Amino acid sequence: MNLKELISNLQDFYILCIRGLTGIVRRPVYVKDLIEQMDYTGAGSFMIILPVSIFIGMALSLQLSAELSVLGLKMYTGKIVGVSIIREIGPVLVALVFAGRVGSGMASELGSMILGHQVDSLRVFGVDPMKKLVTPRIWSSILMLPMLTLIGDALALLGGYYIAVFVSHQSGTFYWSSVRDAITFENVIAGAAKPFIFGYLIACISCYMGLSTRGGSKGLRQSTTRAVVLSIVMIIISDFLLTRILLYALGFSV
Amino acid sequence: MIEFEKVFFSYGDHHVLRDVSFSMRADERLAILGGSGEGKTTILKLILGLVDADSGRIIIEGDDITDKTEDQLREVRMKFSIVFQEGALFDSLNVKENVAFCLREYSKLSEEEIDRKVREILKVVDVEPAIDLMTDELSGGMHRRVAIARSLAAYEPKVFLYDEPTTGLDPINADNICRLIVDLCKDGKGLITVTHKVSDAMKMAERFMFLKDGMILFDGNKEKLLQSTNDEIQRFISE
Repeated sequence: MNLKELISNLQDFYILCIRGLTGIVRRPVYVKDLIEQMDYTGAGSFMIILPVSIFIGMALSLQLSAELSVLGLKMYTGKIVGVSIIREIGPVLVALVFAGRVGSGMASELGSMILGHQVDSLRVFGVDPMKKLVTPRIWSSILMLPMLTLIGDALALLGGYYIAVFVSHQSGTFYWSSVRDAITFENVIAGAAKPFIFGYLIACISCYMGLSTRGGSKGLRQSTTRAVVLSIVMIIISDFLLTRILLYALGFSV
Repeated sequence: MIEFEKVFFSYGDHHVLRDVSFSMRADERLAILGGSGEGKTTILKLILGLVDADSGRIIIEGDDITDKTEDQLREVRMKFSIVFQEGALFDSLNVKENVAFCLREYSKLSEEEIDRKVREILKVVDVEPAIDLMTDELSGGMHRRVAIARSLAAYEPKVFLYDEPTTGLDPINADNICRLIVDLCKDGKGLITVTHKVSDAMKMAERFMFLKDGMILFDGNKEKLLQSTNDEIQRFISE
């Protein structure tokens, strides 16, 4: 890819990000498509988020209990699990799972629509593919990923509770009270702001990759792979940047 | 109705069309022949403004469309109806929903009226019993018929565009589709069909264009095509 193509692609991506987002305020608004996408991205992802979150909470609690018991600080398990899950692991983990399931789905669906001339058909019929296909996907991701993160956080804390109480033999009441200590305004904001950005990024990258599919089934495979890989990389990079910004904005000293 | 003036088009470094110029009336039936990758489908996409020419002018009813925006092209596209290769039906919708797509998008018809109109159109193309089937449950011939039905439901086109309408169909189905296509043009509507099947093109069109290496090698009627002494054309016709 030469520099001219790279700039052209970045320009197309930028246009998709803006027009996809603002499509919700321009008529016609495809409410049915938005609801369908919310069902696919949200309800459809729940059964994957459920075991992943529980087990990551259990693993984290297990590791911390083992390490903290050596230092005689086992009672801090709940607080550290709480802070880690709410501020960092929960949003990132759910976003990664979301990128794997929803991002690949969006890219492959739009890619096959491109290859099957379905997107051209929409344009011929006077329908703006950006509004019909991209806007519902972007908004469903922006709306559903935070909800999934909230559920994922709760499940991870529940998994942590199970290990702390039944394996590490700590007091359940004390676990929840120390988790409650971690649920401060700053921590919640630090964790809750991220999924909105992650959802937007995943949907934009996946839609762009899908709509730029060329070259048959091999091209479809490449665009789907690119969508997932780039989404994951961007989640990790943007997580660092957001953490830096949020810590500064919320007054944490590093 | 349609005029191409010195049109060039390329995908990156690959030149697809080179110096293509032709014009056609709204009531003509034109078949564009040529091998794979010769730029036949690209001509249809250029007419609809789905891709941009590198240079040259494309004039539709006296209006140059080469610099038009997507919104301005909407009006131009309403003069045509296209059936893409393999039909390009929306695979997440069933037959009824596919045909009703434009009616739901643009008309203010009630669901009962849409249902009645969809059934009427499906009857014209003879696939009414398939109304509730999903697109992957359709045979190749039915798939094309539904695609034609969907294009009929869109609006009143002046010219029909068909991209390889009979590819992948058995001879009987292909013949039926050719008849349907000609029948739909009976009231003075034009058609451009892109195909590499000469026998089917002969059934549908009265004027033929042969593309080779992105250029028009032949443009004329059936008799002239059959009498052409060009080796490429002769080989293509005999195959």
